[in-house]
Order: sequence, then C-alpha cells, then structure tokens
Amino acid sequence: MNTEKPLLIKRLWVVSFSLLLVLLAAMFLGLSLGSSHSGIKAVFQNLLGIGPQDPMLDTIIWKIRFPRILLATLVGGTLSLGGLVFQAILKNPLAEPYILGISGGSAIGAIIGILMGLLRFPGVSLMAFSGSIGTLLLILVMSSGHTILKKDALLLSGVMVNAFCGAVIMFLVSLTQDARLHNIIFWLMGDLSMVDMPQVGILAAMLLPCFFLVFWFSNSMNLLLMGKEMAQTMGINVKAVTVTLLVATSFMVSTTVSYCGLVGFVGLVVPHLLRLLFGPDHRVLVPACVLGGGAYLVFCDVLARTLPDQGEMPAGVITAMIGAPLFIYLLKKTRR
Amino acid sequence: MAFRISHMLNYRFMVIFLLAAISLGVFVVTPSFARTVTDQLERTVTVPDEPRRIVSLAPNITEIIFALGQEHRLMGATRYSDFPPEANKLPKVGSYVHLDLEKIVALKPDLCIAIKDGNPIAVAKRLESLKIPVYAVNPKNLETIMQTVLEIGGLINAEKEADLLVQNMDLRIQKVKSLVSNVAHRPRVFFQIGVSPIVSVGTHTFIHGLIVLAGGTNLAEGSIGYPRFSREQVLALSPEVIIITSMAREAVFEQVKAEWNKWPDLPAVRNQRIFLEDSNFFDRPTPRLVDGLELLVRLIHPELFKEAE
Amino acid sequence: MAIDVKNLNFFYGNIPALKDLSFSVTQGDFFIIIGPNGSGKTTLMKVMAGIFKPKTGRLKILNRTLENYTRKDLAQTMAFVPQMMPVDFPFSVIEVVLMGRSPYMGMLGIEQETDLKIAEQALAFTGVDHLAHRKLDQLSGGEQQRVFVARAICQEPEIILLDEPTASLDLAHQIRLMDLMEKLKNETGITVVMVSHDVNLAAMYCDRLLLLKNGEMVCLGPPDEVLTFQTLEAAYGCTLLVDESPLGKVPRITPVPHKYIHRE
Repeated sequence: MNTEKPLLIKRLWVVSFSLLLVLLAAMFLGLSLGSSHSGIKAVFQNLLGIGPQDPMLDTIIWKIRFPRILLATLVGGTLSLGGLVFQAILKNPLAEPYILGISGGSAIGAIIGILMGLLRFPGVSLMAFSGSIGTLLLILVMSSGHTILKKDALLLSGVMVNAFCGAVIMFLVSLTQDARLHNIIFWLMGDLSMVDMPQVGILAAMLLPCFFLVFWFSNSMNLLLMGKEMAQTMGINVKAVTVTLLVATSFMVSTTVSYCGLVGFVGLVVPHLLRLLFGPDHRVLVPACVLGGGAYLVFCDVLARTLPDQGEMPAGVITAMIGAPLFIYLLKKTRR
Repeated sequence: MAFRISHMLNYRFMVIFLLAAISLGVFVVTPSFARTVTDQLERTVTVPDEPRRIVSLAPNITEIIFALGQEHRLMGATRYSDFPPEANKLPKVGSYVHLDLEKIVALKPDLCIAIKDGNPIAVAKRLESLKIPVYAVNPKNLETIMQTVLEIGGLINAEKEADLLVQNMDLRIQKVKSLVSNVAHRPRVFFQIGVSPIVSVGTHTFIHGLIVLAGGTNLAEGSIGYPRFSREQVLALSPEVIIITSMAREAVFEQVKAEWNKWPDLPAVRNQRIFLEDSNFFDRPTPRLVDGLELLVRLIHPELFKEAE
Repeated sequence: MAIDVKNLNFFYGNIPALKDLSFSVTQGDFFIIIGPNGSGKTTLMKVMAGIFKPKTGRLKILNRTLENYTRKDLAQTMAFVPQMMPVDFPFSVIEVVLMGRSPYMGMLGIEQETDLKIAEQALAFTGVDHLAHRKLDQLSGGEQQRVFVARAICQEPEIILLDEPTASLDLAHQIRLMDLMEKLKNETGITVVMVSHDVNLAAMYCDRLLLLKNGEMVCLGPPDEVLTFQTLEAAYGCTLLVDESPLGKVPRITPVPHKYIHRE
C-alpha cells in the first residue's frame, strides 16, 4: 500500500513558488503597460538600470504604476482569501467576500461621504469602512437569535441586508445630478487609480497580519468543512475559530473596499479556480489565494487600463469577463 | 616650452568652457520658476513664467485658452474638450472626473489648470507630488468667469488678449442689462436641462444668473442646485417660456415638445414658446455664456428686438 | 468506568430531550443504545461526545468530568463518527483520515512520519487502504463509512462513539462494519459506544444494551435481559416476536405484520 502523498511542506513550496512567479510576471506586465504606451523594452531597461534613463518614464513606472500594482496585488489577494474563508465558514460555494453586508454597507457609507463632499482619503474611506462594519454588526445581531454561528441565518441576513442597501444606494444615486454622480459610480465599480505609496504602505501593514492569521487557521478550516460537530470532537474550538476568522476577514475586506470601492467577482471565482487546480486543502489554498488572487487582479487591471482607447474600464468588468469562461473551462476539464 | 604654453592655453580653455557650460547648464537646467501665485482656491502655487506645456483639465479651460489665442502652449486636454473644433486634435488625458495620471505625466507638462467642480482634489495632489504645478479655478457665474479669463491670461502671458476678451464680454453684458432694464414684466421661465426625469436649475447655477440678467424669472430658483420636477409641478408653475437644452438630437426634442403640447393651458404652449437650445452655450463656464445670454434675451424678450428691427 | 452518567438532563430550548439518565459504560465494552425514533439516542450520544452541554447532571469520561478535559485531551480520548458527513469539498481518503491526527499535530496540522504511519495502519485495519488516493465523493456509502472509522481510529481514542453507522448500508456492509468494531474492541480494548436502530444487529454484537424511550432509560443490561418482548413492545409500541436466533444464544426480534397477528 502506498500512502505517499507529497508532504504538505513540499506541496506548499511548489504551489507558492509557481504562483509567485506568475505574480511577478503579472507585475512586470503591469509596470510595462499603461495608457502612455512606453513600451516593454524601455521598462525593462529602466528596471535593470541600463540604457538611457528617462525621468518621466521613471515617474510613470514607480510613482503611478507601481503603487497601483501593489494595491491590485493586495486587494486581489484579500478578496480571494475573503472568498475562500467565507466559503469555508458558511459551507456555501456561492459565498463571496462582500456577502455579509460589506458591499451594501460600505457603498452607503462611501456615497454619503461623497455627497458630503469629503476627500477620498481619509474621509470617504473611513465612511466606507464604518458603513461595512456597521452592517456586519447589524447582521450579527439579526442572526444571533439563533445560534450566532448557524450559518444559514448569517448568510440569509447578509443577503437581505445587501439587498436593502442596494435599494438605498439606488435611491441615493437617483438624487444626485452633478459631478458627484460620476465619483459615486466609479467608486461602485471599483477604482484602483487613487493611491500613492504611503497609502499602499498603510494598507499592507493592515492586511499582512490578517493574511498570517488566516493561514494560522487554515487547517482548522479543513476540519470545519467536515462539519462543526466533527471539528469540535477533533479538538477545534469551533466558536472561537469561526468568530476570529469572521472578524479578521470582514476587517480585511472592509479595508480594501475603503481604499478602492467594490471589485466584484475576484473573491468568488479565484478560490474556485485555485481549488480546481490545487485541491481543497486550505493550508495550500490560503497562500495560493493571496498570490494567485493578487496576480489575477493585477492582470485584469492591466487589461482594464490598456484595452479601451479612452479611459479605463472598471477592473470588476474584466475580472468577470475573464473569470467566468475560464472557470467553466476548468470545470469541464476536471470533470473527466 | 611649447608644451607648457599649449598646456596653459588648454587650461584656460577648459576653464572658459567649464564656466560657459555651467552657466548654460544653469540656464537650461534651472527652470524659470520665478512666480508664486494664489489660485482661486486660496492655494499657493509656484508656476513657470512662461508655461509652454500646459495640460487643461476641463473642457471650459481648453476653450478659454483657445479664446486667448494661446493654443500653441496647450499639450493636452480632457475628453469633451470639443470647442473650438481644433481642440479635438489635442491628446486626451481622460475625462475631467476621471483623469488619466499616466497620460498627463507622459506629456511632461509644466502647468496644469484645473477646475474645482469635478476635478478630484486627490489627483491635483498627486500631480503636485510629482512636481507638476496645478492651478485651480472656480468660475461660478459670469463675473468669476471673467475673473478666471483674466487670471489665466496672466498665467500664460496673454494679459492683453485677456483684457480685450473680458472687455468685449462686459460690453455685451452691459448692453443686455440696459436693454432689459425697463422691462415691465419678467416672464416666468422654466429651463429644462433633463428630459427624464425633468430637471431644472437652481439659484447657484450659471443658468440662473443668465435668466435673471436676460430679464426672466427662473421658476426653479431655490437652494437645490438641480431640482427635479414632476410634470404636475411644472404645470402648477405655469411657465410662459420653456427652454430645453440637452445634448440629444432633434428627434428627441420634437418628442419632448409634443409632451408639453399635450397641455394647451400652459402659457408657453399657448404662445408656442418652447425652444431647444444647444447646451454648450449654457452649461460651460466660458466666454460663450455671453452668447448664451444674448440667445436667452431674444427668447425671453423677443419684443425688444422686434422694435429694433 | 469508561463513561459515567448521573442524573443527566438535557433540553432543546424548553423541550426535555433527556430525563434524569443514570448509567455507566464499562471500559472495553461494546455498548449499544437502542430505542424508537425521538427517544433521544443521538442527543445522548452528542452529550457524551461533548458537543452538547447537559442542563443538569454529571458526565464523567474515564473518571474525569468534562470540565477537566482540554479540547485536545478530549479529542485524544474520545472519537465520534456521526451518521452523515458532508462530502461537498473533495478531499482524498488519506487527507480525511489524516485529519484524525489533528489532536496530536500542531495548529497547522503538519504531518510527521508517525502520523502517516498511524493513518496507514488505520486504513489497513478498516480495509480501505487500496482507496487511499481516491476522492471521498467517489466512494460508496459503505466505503465512506469505513474511511470515517479509520479517521476516528487515528485519534487513538479510548472510546469511540458511532451514531447509527449502519443506517444507510446494505447487508454486507452492515455486517462488515459491525465485525470491524468488534475486531477493534477485541484487539485494542477500545470501548465502542454505538447508537443503532437495528435491534437484531445490536443483539448479535453488544455486551450491554441501553433501551431509551422519550428520553428516559427503560432498561440497561446484557441483550437477553433487555430484549424481552414485554419491554420491547412497551418501548416500541408494536407487536413483536422474540425468540432465540439459530446462530446462538442471541435474542432474535421479529416485528409482526398485522396480517399475522390473529394467528398467535
């Protein structure tokens, strides 16, 4: 009998390393392409420090594109991880990171902030963040009549609250006539363009500990999938783990929303994609989601910036347009 | 001996050459950032004496620069900078609410001119962090538009042209004022900028100012900038003149007019005073607003012109 | 005493599910809990497993109350095999079995050599080693059940709790599973506590039976004491024929269809 499966550590390294390469490739692409058409060769020379140096190109690459790529990496990683965690905790493959009222609450907060004339940072961001935490608390209170962790109660409350918030958002949008309407719509569609390096630094400082925390609980997530009662009899403090993961993930996702609005579809499709490719073990999937999700969004953002002649498409559109067919293809392929 | 002399000559040559190079370098490398100005948002900005690479961050600013004959300094503009038609040829740097930072930087501007309404402050800040000066204007009515023209003229070494332009504008405005000064009745005007839903203009808009100057009463005046009306509310207001602006085509206008014609009790319908006008004369804070003003006077007080003819 | 229960009461909200139960399970016993639907069998099992907390009463596992166990300690002492397990996420057999080693591995569950070895042994013991790399959802019900048992074995427990393990199995797999439990008990001295709906099967294997009705204990003892037709008819509320199985000194219970009743 042969139970020699590749040891976890080895699998982890292989997956992480290959996805890291993918991420770096995507980042390079992101640094090379943009609306000012500088050309890959010129970027290559700049990165290596050889050849004639153009300070304008330098500025574009490092002050405009680089922060944006870092943001896309962090946001893509966070959203994918958020989707993964919610899918595990709620035991529902349709779960995505905004599901517990985060999209609705943050949007309302952001729109109110924009209508009040606040600046993007810190005003609108803080409003968005408080909005999402507010709706999360609301949902937790609403579903605590039942056992706080009864997953369907949580899920249903989340869906209801998001739907209600959607109506409020429509109402607020319909009231706005001037340029603020544009700002609102861009925020709702996800806007990665508004950050500089210090802001990205703050974001990274807030997100990286969350990544590690989630990884710490990755084996627990495996066990949770076998059923809460089972997990408990195997030594997991189900309530503590679930609440911690819920809070950490909601915090992570809310933070990204406050930076760049709602980027859809990444958190839903990337975990499934990676699961199809690498299996259901969360100890491998957690780093995979961070790296793979980051690479995915960087890549989609590049397309969003370069495909249209004028302006840019919302990144969320590209993530859906690429993600859905890709997912269907992979699904068919692995069915055999 | 010969060696030493040539050596000394070489030495002197080198010194002269170096000095020349340094002064030339200083001349070339040091930009002539000699001026610190305060823009219309009370910000202090350091701008070049002779801006040669300007990027306009809003369509009305593009118009003003062209109107001052300084388009040769203009390197790029936002989308919808479509007047005059030559402006369409300029490289586009995104829309005024969603500026493309990369494209702007790629044009290597030495000055950007922004407007308060619309341009996000965050982008202005980022441009400044990249050492690109941003001068902001905030034209809210005819007076501040003229002020803006003068300021921009001062920025780009076109003071004479600016003065001329503003004088011309002022002249025409005064003419309208005097024409209208003895008018007995100020007709009730409903200025419709939105078709579905029906949206009009409040007190804090350019259009309101124009209506008042043109001798009319703005039925939608009030604190809400762009108030909405149901058809009932408009009927209750009983407008004598309805002016519709939209960027839509004739077909849509006929449809809208037909909608109003269903209510023959409306004075505007009875007297067939429903008009479609080009919105470009009314919603952009540029010198063309004076054209809009003159248009409005003819629509609101046609009797003044019949006499002249 | 492997398990010692005294004056146990449990409520679902306000509805009493277990009423003043007192009994004990000897170490090394094959202990089977039977009773009609709604008698509280599964509830009792979940209370014993530490999943539910009793309202009043005392529960001791290996002479220690549950409060004196840390989660990990308890997991190393007692393993639970529930009736149904979700199989949405496609782990492989070996991955599922290795999860049983969680109480002995660190937070991240990084497997050591010993863990792998124990898992292999468990797979061999339950006869599913040839399926080690297959996905769980591709197996039959019987095979899945044995995988879960293998996982429970990996916890190296003193006590193993099984909730109606034969409920959805065919005849062959039913016997196979019960034989496996008996082998486990005999070879390792593990106490096997099982909830069963199949009274005959229970009779053939158990050392002692506990009969429950409406959350109350009706009878406790070896099969021939508990499985009398008076006790059973009162508990199950239907006509039963109790005789001795031709296989040995084991009671055989036959429910009597209506058409045969007037004959007796």
